[in-house]
Amino acid sequence: MTAAAEKKPLRYSVRGKNTQFFSGEGVDELVSITMALAQELWVVKERLAAFEAVATKKKVFTAKEIEGFKFTPAQRAKLDAESQAFIDRVFFVLRERVEGLAADPDEPPAPKEP
Amino acid sequence: MTKYVHHEMKVAPTPEEAARQTFMSSMRMYVLLDMANGMRTVYDTEVAPKFKRKNKRAPRDGIEVHRALKKDTFFKFYSSMRCNAQEMVFRSILPTVERSQDALNKKAKVLSRSKKAAGTVETDPSFVVPRSVAAIDVHRMPGNYDTEYGPDDVTQGAVYDNGISVFSMGFFGDNLDDIGSSISLFIKNKYPKFAPKRILDMGCTIGHNTVPWAKIYPKSEVHAVDVSAPAVRYGHARAQSDGVAVHFHQQNAEHTNFEDGSFDLIFSSMFLHEVPKKGIKKIFKEAHRLLKPGGLMLHMELPPNKMLGAYDSFYLDWDSYYNKEPFYKPFRDLDPEVVSENAGFAKNKFVQFIIPSVGQYGEKAVKDSVKKQTGKADDQTGRFAAGIHWYCFGAWK
Repeated sequence: MTAAAEKKPLRYSVRGKNTQFFSGEGVDELVSITMALAQELWVVKERLAAFEAVATKKKVFTAKEIEGFKFTPAQRAKLDAESQAFIDRVFFVLRERVEGLAADPDEPPAPKEP
Repeated sequence: MTKYVHHEMKVAPTPEEAARQTFMSSMRMYVLLDMANGMRTVYDTEVAPKFKRKNKRAPRDGIEVHRALKKDTFFKFYSSMRCNAQEMVFRSILPTVERSQDALNKKAKVLSRSKKAAGTVETDPSFVVPRSVAAIDVHRMPGNYDTEYGPDDVTQGAVYDNGISVFSMGFFGDNLDDIGSSISLFIKNKYPKFAPKRILDMGCTIGHNTVPWAKIYPKSEVHAVDVSAPAVRYGHARAQSDGVAVHFHQQNAEHTNFEDGSFDLIFSSMFLHEVPKKGIKKIFKEAHRLLKPGGLMLHMELPPNKMLGAYDSFYLDWDSYYNKEPFYKPFRDLDPEVVSENAGFAKNKFVQFIIPSVGQYGEKAVKDSVKKQTGKADDQTGRFAAGIHWYCFGAWK
């Protein structure tokens, strides 16, 4: 086994219990998902801003050309793989719940809520 | 706004990762400024008047404010979004750190041997990390300070350094050292004859607030302890990269192996609120043991509840309930003067200061504040906002 294969992945989820702020089922999770979506949308906006800036500077393409563009199968496959990672980030809160069930947290309790 | 790590232990985010990180600084700014101000307005205009009508008086303390406000939808959104923002800060930097893990561990070794500075680091393979650190992801940082992914690993130091760079929205300064820089500059001006020969930073994590002491007192010998091996290893590399000699040790500040009376100045920053009450008392006693007569113990912290009004107490205690900071409120409920006295410091030797951020106000304002101490905390004390001031307290031995 190579050193890379033996490497432990970093843990992304936070151990222990979380407060449910909203009484409606799933609302807390929806807040998480919405925030992650907002973050990803921002990433796209920054990327687009960079594209537009470069394209305009170099006079590379027009908006009409973009409208009619088709990805190659290889480009499509790459994008499909990236979208899986994208979805995992957006819906991370659901994965965290599952990972939390598997962990055995022994964290000191927070003070009792008033 | 985001101050990316730029010393030799820096990592290289992809444009997408950098955009996620930038977004998180903006999001935190929105939650901690816009939403926090909004929640205060909701409280003042709706929640507090309703409480008064029902009880014929205003809320007495943070607990009553909390109880009244927690039913409000704005509080729920604020709290939920703040928890999410906290976790997302760390998730925004983790892929970059994970990809750079091997390079960081190698770089740390190179810097450790570098002639740029004569700092050292010592870790203890038999060291048992206390439960208050080992059993919790403090402030929602996955892996906390202490997780080690392999031998001589520095990963969690990098997670903390990069995480708080995004988290602090620039308020900790370019090197995340605004607290140490502001307070050390203040002390040097407040006590011009005080020239500490040996300085100890307790609970130093990555030494970001240790380094300013070594810079302002260049003739001093500076030591720093923390229970986290990855943090002290990373802190050592970080200080070496900065060309500053600091001696890092993996030790518990509650009982170090230094000799009695071996330090002139003992400092900590943002440390005590992450320690259980029993530990805090031991740390004060240890500081008393380690200080020479005429030495100074100084802790930068959040102001105690007794200095704040009901709403501000509630606001700062929020972290204790919801942000994986279980010891935060118990610490803030303590009276620092009493704890100092119980540890052996004389009552009339207690000091406390509220110091303007050198990054926001400049050196002159910090120096001027030496003569302008009112002893009163306000909603700019210890809070991430324009006009931030740092609170610290301690005692002379």
